[in-house]
This record gives sequence, C-alpha cells and structure tokens, in this order.
Amino acid sequence: MSATSPRNVWVIWVSMLFALLLSVSPLPDFMEMGRPLWLALFMTYWLLALPQRVGMLTAWCFGLLADVLNGALLGQNALILTLVTFLVLSLHQRLRMFPLSQQCIVLLMVFGLAQLVQLWLNALTGNRPPTLVFILPAVVSALLWPWVSMILRWLQQRFGVN
Amino acid sequence: MQLFVTGGCVEEFVIKPLFTKGPSLGVRLLVLAVLSVALMVVDARFAFLKPFRSQLGVIVEPIYWLGNLPVTLWENTTQELSSRTELAAENEKLKTEQLLLQRRLQKLAALTEQNVRLRELLNSAALVDDDVLATELIGIDPNPFTHRILIDKGEKDGVVIGQPVLDARGLMGQVVEVMPYSARVLLLTDTNHSIPVQVNRNGLRAIASGTGNPERLELRHVADTADIKVGDLLVSSGLGQRFPSGYPVATVSEVIHDSGQPFAIVRAIPTASLNRSRYMLLVFTDTRTPEQRATESAEAEVAADQKALEEKAETAAGSNTPAPSQSTAPAPAQAPSTTAPAPVRPAQ
Repeated sequence: MSATSPRNVWVIWVSMLFALLLSVSPLPDFMEMGRPLWLALFMTYWLLALPQRVGMLTAWCFGLLADVLNGALLGQNALILTLVTFLVLSLHQRLRMFPLSQQCIVLLMVFGLAQLVQLWLNALTGNRPPTLVFILPAVVSALLWPWVSMILRWLQQRFGVN
Repeated sequence: MQLFVTGGCVEEFVIKPLFTKGPSLGVRLLVLAVLSVALMVVDARFAFLKPFRSQLGVIVEPIYWLGNLPVTLWENTTQELSSRTELAAENEKLKTEQLLLQRRLQKLAALTEQNVRLRELLNSAALVDDDVLATELIGIDPNPFTHRILIDKGEKDGVVIGQPVLDARGLMGQVVEVMPYSARVLLLTDTNHSIPVQVNRNGLRAIASGTGNPERLELRHVADTADIKVGDLLVSSGLGQRFPSGYPVATVSEVIHDSGQPFAIVRAIPTASLNRSRYMLLVFTDTRTPEQRATESAEAEVAADQKALEEKAETAAGSNTPAPSQSTAPAPAQAPSTTAPAPVRPAQ
C-alpha cells in the first residue's frame, strides 16, 4: 500500500528543472542543430515510471516555462510537450513492455512528430529551418534515451522516488 | 527481478486512477491544446499579455546564469592558470592596440571639431553625442535558426523595445523583448531583420537583410548599374527612425551582376563580431521626431540671433560712434554670427 503515498517527489521537479537548464545551456555551433529535447526526454521517463505523479498539466506548465526561457510564443513549447505527453501516455502500457531498443524507435516517432508540429508553428511565426535538419533533435534524443532512462532509473531507485 | 516486481506493482496502482477519475486523455489534450493555441494567438496579436510575460522573465536571468556557470568557471580557471608569458604577450598586444586607437582618437578629435564648425556654418543644431550604456551578454537563444541573444540590462535600466545595440566595431541589432533585469536582442543577421543602410563612399541607399548566416547580410533591390563595389563600407542611414545614422554596419564582400536577375546580388559581412562580442553598448537615441528636432533647433537659432542682436545694440549704445553702419547691421545679423564680421571689415 505504501506504493501510493508520495515519497521524495522533489527529485522529479529537480530533474525537470535540470532538463530546463540543459535546454538553454550553451553548446558549440555544430551541436546546436541537434540539441536533444531534454524536457521531452525527462518527461517521458517520469511518465513511464510514475504516471500517477506527473501528467499533462505538469508537461504543459514546464512547456510554458520553456517558452519564457526561449522567448518563443507563449504556448508553443507547451503545446509540443503536451502532445508528447499524450502520445507517451496513450502508448504507455506497450512502451513499458518494450526492450530499450524498441522504445528508442517508438520515441523517435513520437519526437519526430513533435518536431514536425514545432516546424509548423515556427513557420507560422516566420523562422523556418530550410532543410530536413529539424528532425535531427528527434534522432539525437532517441539515441540518448537509453542513457537518460538508465540515469533517471538509478536516481529513482537511489532516492526511492514514488 | 526486484525491479520487475515493483514495476508490476506500480502498474496495478496506475491503471485504476488513469481510467476511473478525471477526464480522458483525449479530452485533456484537447483542452490544453486549445489553451496553448489561444495563448499563442493572444501573445502574437495582442499586447495585454506582454507585462505578464516580462514579469515571468525574471526567472530567465538566473537560469541562463546557471546554464552558463560551467563555461564561466572554466574560463575563470583557465585565466587563473594562464602563464605569465601569455599574459605578457597579451599586455604587449593591448598596448599596441591602444597606441593605434590613440592615434585614431587624435584624428577623430580634429574631425569632430571640423564637423562642429561645418555644422555651425550650415546653421544646424549642435552635434549631440548619443548616450550609451554598457551591457554584457548572458545567453544565446537555443534555437539555432534565430539569431537572438540575451543581455544583462532590462526595464530597470531604462531599456526599451527597438533600442539599437552596438559593439566595438559596429551595429549588432535591436532590442525586441524587455524583461525586468534582462532583454532579448535580435541580431542583424536574423532572417526576420532588415536595416536601412547607406554606402559610406557615395551615400547610395539600400536595405540590408539578414540571411540566417552570422557572417552575411544581403542588400535587397540594388539596381544592376548602382555604384557599389567590393570593400565599400555600409553605414546605417537612420531612415527607418530606429537606428541612429552613421554607425558602421557591414562591408561589401561580393557584388554579382547576373543578367538573368532583375537586381544585382550584393553580399556584405557585418563589421560587428556578432557571434564573438561579449560586451555591448545600448544606445539611447534622441526620441524626438526629425520635425521636432528641426523646429527646436530653429527656435534655438532665433534665440541666439536675438541675443547677439541685443548685445550688439548694447555695444552700439555704449560706444555710439558710427550710427549709420549700425542701423544697416541688423539685416545681415539674421544670418549666422560667423557672417557678421564680413560687413564690418570694409567699414574699417
């Protein structure tokens, strides 16, 4: 029964804030194109691990924070992150059963879709990447997924987050 | 094994709340998506969300500072550890540079004086130097397809939207978003940015648009026969009433005359080091319109003439010698005071 009472939930918030930090940290120019979707990655892990603690509203709020940080239209990243959350939650039961490699492929689809919506929104506001590079962050994120999930699982077990 | 068991356990507790309480996933997505879209539209089209947004911006600076912390720490340690010889070499270099700049400054003083004299001759208002405020870069926009930076001065320092930003070598861009303690600057090379410029050599006007490449601007709609050459310096013309005139913007690097194109293709390299500068200047320009400025300078001129006239009348009343020549003097005295000695000379 103790599984339902919240324990050490602050770890989730701290890790999400860390993801927010990573998403604006300076990177060399050539890596800037493939900046991983840190917020989406971290959010996905917590959604899969503890769907009773984080949900769409959490994702939306963090998306708004990302908008303020990036100077994007208020609601742009919020919409994207909500969409990712929706997809992950609806695939939730299957995703948990998949091995890591298969999870990567599914997440590539999810993040790719999110990037596509991001591209549309960017095109509406006027700055549009000229080529297919908009898909690069999704690929990088999918490749990073095993490591991110391993680290976060270690964190979760270390602090007994529930 | 342990993990699997806890995982299964969590699953058991998860599925129930997911399906029993609260609206379904689709409904939640719909509500939040509509909310996001509404927010985006309001943010893009109306102004009443701006204050809220700029207040939220308070969190921006600490987060960018934290994000930059590893870089700053690394720079500090390398600075601490940099060898004595390196420091000596840098010192030497800076001294030479200072000498060169001093020489230019001397020349500049002479030129400024000349400029002031010429302006006096032209009857125009005195040359007013723009007020500036030094600022430091604190962050770069993470989106690689826009060229925007964050600076550490904001509303509290009097920064306003549209304010021009310079570095040591030329114009960098303009402020597009103001937060309490920081501001966002759109650089010249952003694809959304254009600036009215003038060729310094002959005054040819053009518009320099950003290309998304930090090392390139393009001049739009330049006639094929226009007198523009590689190496020409482009300065801001001040015609958009946003940037002050006369600051260097770019040097022309390529002029392509293609008979298949209606206009010449002119490319230029920004003189400011857009992706290297760390310290910048915010320029506070005169907020008056050109008409106001002209009227005010004209009024000042009239007042000065009046004063000169009165002085002259006083001296005339004091000495009271050549009455007829004094009576004709007021007519030319309407002209600037520099012409006043001219009619005096033949009288002597």
